[in-house]
Amino acid sequence: MVAADVIRKGAGRAFMLCNEAIVRAAIESDVKVVSAYPGSPTTEILDTFSEVAPQFDYRMEISANEKVALETCAGASMAGLRTMTSMKSVGLNVASDSFYSLSYTGVKGGMVLAVADDPQAHSSQSEQDGRYFGPSAYVPMLEPSDPQEAMAFVKKAFELSEKHGVPMLLRTTTRVNHQSGMVEFAEITRKPFEKVDWEHPVGRFVTVADSARTFKLALLDRTERVREEFESSDMNTVTLTGSEVGIITSGAGYNYAVDAAKVLGIGPSILKLGTTFPLPTRLIADFVKRHRTIIVVEELSPYLEQNVMAVAKDANPSVRVVGKGSGHFSEAFEYNTNIVVDGMAKALGMTPPVDYAAVMTRATELKKGLPDRPPTFCPGCPHRASLWAVRQALKGVKHVLSTDIGCYSMSFLKPVEYGDSLLSMGASLGVAAGMQYAVKQKVVAMIGDSTFWHAGLPGLVNAVHHGDDFTLILLDNSVTAMTGQQYNPGSDKSAGERAAKPLVVENVIRAMGIEDITIVDPYDVKKASAAMKEALSRKGPNVIISRRACALYADRQKRKRGETIGSNRVDKDVCKKPYTCIRQFHCPAISIDDKDRKATITKELCDRCDVCAKVCPFGSIREREGE
Amino acid sequence: MAKEFSVYMAGVGGQGLVLLSNVIGAACASAGIRALTGEQHGLSQRSGSINVHMRIGEEIRSPLIPIGGADAILALEALEALRYVEYLRPGGVAIVNSRVQHPISETTEHMKEKTAVYMSAKDVEERLLKITDKVSLIDALSIARSAGNALTENIVMLGALSTLDALPVPEKALKDAVAATVPKKAVDVNLKAFDMGKQAARANLCNLVKCRE
Repeated sequence: MVAADVIRKGAGRAFMLCNEAIVRAAIESDVKVVSAYPGSPTTEILDTFSEVAPQFDYRMEISANEKVALETCAGASMAGLRTMTSMKSVGLNVASDSFYSLSYTGVKGGMVLAVADDPQAHSSQSEQDGRYFGPSAYVPMLEPSDPQEAMAFVKKAFELSEKHGVPMLLRTTTRVNHQSGMVEFAEITRKPFEKVDWEHPVGRFVTVADSARTFKLALLDRTERVREEFESSDMNTVTLTGSEVGIITSGAGYNYAVDAAKVLGIGPSILKLGTTFPLPTRLIADFVKRHRTIIVVEELSPYLEQNVMAVAKDANPSVRVVGKGSGHFSEAFEYNTNIVVDGMAKALGMTPPVDYAAVMTRATELKKGLPDRPPTFCPGCPHRASLWAVRQALKGVKHVLSTDIGCYSMSFLKPVEYGDSLLSMGASLGVAAGMQYAVKQKVVAMIGDSTFWHAGLPGLVNAVHHGDDFTLILLDNSVTAMTGQQYNPGSDKSAGERAAKPLVVENVIRAMGIEDITIVDPYDVKKASAAMKEALSRKGPNVIISRRACALYADRQKRKRGETIGSNRVDKDVCKKPYTCIRQFHCPAISIDDKDRKATITKELCDRCDVCAKVCPFGSIREREGE
Repeated sequence: MAKEFSVYMAGVGGQGLVLLSNVIGAACASAGIRALTGEQHGLSQRSGSINVHMRIGEEIRSPLIPIGGADAILALEALEALRYVEYLRPGGVAIVNSRVQHPISETTEHMKEKTAVYMSAKDVEERLLKITDKVSLIDALSIARSAGNALTENIVMLGALSTLDALPVPEKALKDAVAATVPKKAVDVNLKAFDMGKQAARANLCNLVKCRE
């Protein structure tokens, strides 16, 4: 149904996720090349592009990583085609090497880079504020607040990109990307895909030394031209109410600010900035001049606030700026209307109509003893079995585990609580290299297949070259599981279900010069553990590949084939309550029956991986039949 | 102009919460009512706590319901109703699936303490009753099974929600959206689940709060 709204040829109106609206806008803008690597909160941009790809003629890749994705778009945009990529801000860290240079060379065909931050770090390793990419790279940046605006801004971004020959950032945050709302959309009119003749002079897109210096002067001019255009852009809106108080805000902050003013029953003026680099400084100065108090509402770093203060220094030195510097708002975590109400009320000497702190205190009392429910490995997840096998294999062996980004990252959470370091995509290998110099114990690195293709390869190359002594455990579940089971270079398909050549991870590792490769099936958990134990006792670098498809992905394939999944049950006559399945296995399908204190399996949750049956010392777990 | 209505929807990963918000959103779209949501995507794992802020109203900008701002909590799993209790406004209604999925963290603690009992739906109800007198427990799993598919729990709960007089979305729009959203072969069983959820609410929700005729 959702895809139907994205592909519908005619104009219309629908309830859409912002990420879907972004895709619809790009398709309406006749985007011709799309490439991305998944990362929340942008993943549904990739997923939607991939799902509807067969309906259109744009070329699309699910790239090995964000840097390759950005470069793929850069290449096609240099030639003159419209392109789009999406990534989370930590993904842009990976892509930033090319990103900064691309600002120098510029592009010909419109190029839009959707980059999203994750305040609250819902599904990220940090709360990085990606807005600083704009000014530090001199790349213009647009910030929508909702799905409808995102749709409009994407279209503008393509136009501006071509007009000024520069890639454009579309910066969002989780609560914009993952906001659904009513979206009006236009008709889709696309030109047929055609390759173009490369007609640029030699060196047009080469930036180094002398040409870099030439580009630098040009991009400063370009930035001023864009700033001038933004001064009168309708992406920035000013609402003057005659109040002495003015709010300056953008993106998600705008939504909270408007609702908070309503809660407080006040009518401040509002400057909503849709263009957050280069900032329209005259527009801001004019707004600041008209008010005695300016409240800046923005999540994360004081990016707008510091710019507003710089403008105010000349425009209105006596203006009071309320924000993070004044202590009314925090740089940490995502906002909500109640947070902004409290900050604004405090600044204006008002009492909020609701005592939110009291509500929270009351709620905390009511929740006493409520068990946490952090994300955990799904029933049937091969990682649960792999982790069991690894921990059994290393029983009694002092070791340190350098882990990586993926579902297996969750092993450090309760109740498993396993893992010593986690930094960024692919970092497990480099960190392990450092550890093996510094640490007396056995060093183990852990990485998933997608992360290995993404950023693990150079780390392993380095380890082989230097003979670094650690064992790499590669958890190969055949897809990029955590973000929703996207294809990766190990898959036989890519975007839009088109056929792709699957790379075989052990062949690649062997070609790097590692002969000591052990391949196990985590579902055959005891045998896997024994093989791991041997491999882990040998000198590194060596590799253990634990291979079994992601349960969510495998179940979907099974259902497509009409296979039933089935479930296990506990034979209560046999169960002697050793709780091994609970103590060591931590499956959400297994709990304790309050009646007899024996283990019990929830039929609806069980995936029938049968690993718990193999772990149980009494053999009390059997297949559930005829229920 | 439709009245404003915010419902905080909570559950456990894998219960079909996002589908539920898509259904309500699509129903609003077809009825010409403005709706917006703050959804939780990202970690695709099952079994974690998840939530969707569902907001209906012409003027609302924030996709997140403020603390104390939800007219209703719709919980697909009982413990999850309590987890987000701060969002419920005073006198708001809690429609709670009586099914409990024991989190592994609780089971792990439970194992160590012989006399321990799991937190139950009744415990949740008792606690919720301390801040509102409108708590309705619905046995959605049993109802879904008798409708013909245990996976229709979410639609059972939607059926229950649909009885609320304060919900500004017409029932027909909701049912049409269910039919348009679920797989074709599952339409009948889902519509049955919707109706059975409605009936269940008639019995133990409509005695607490104004329902539609």
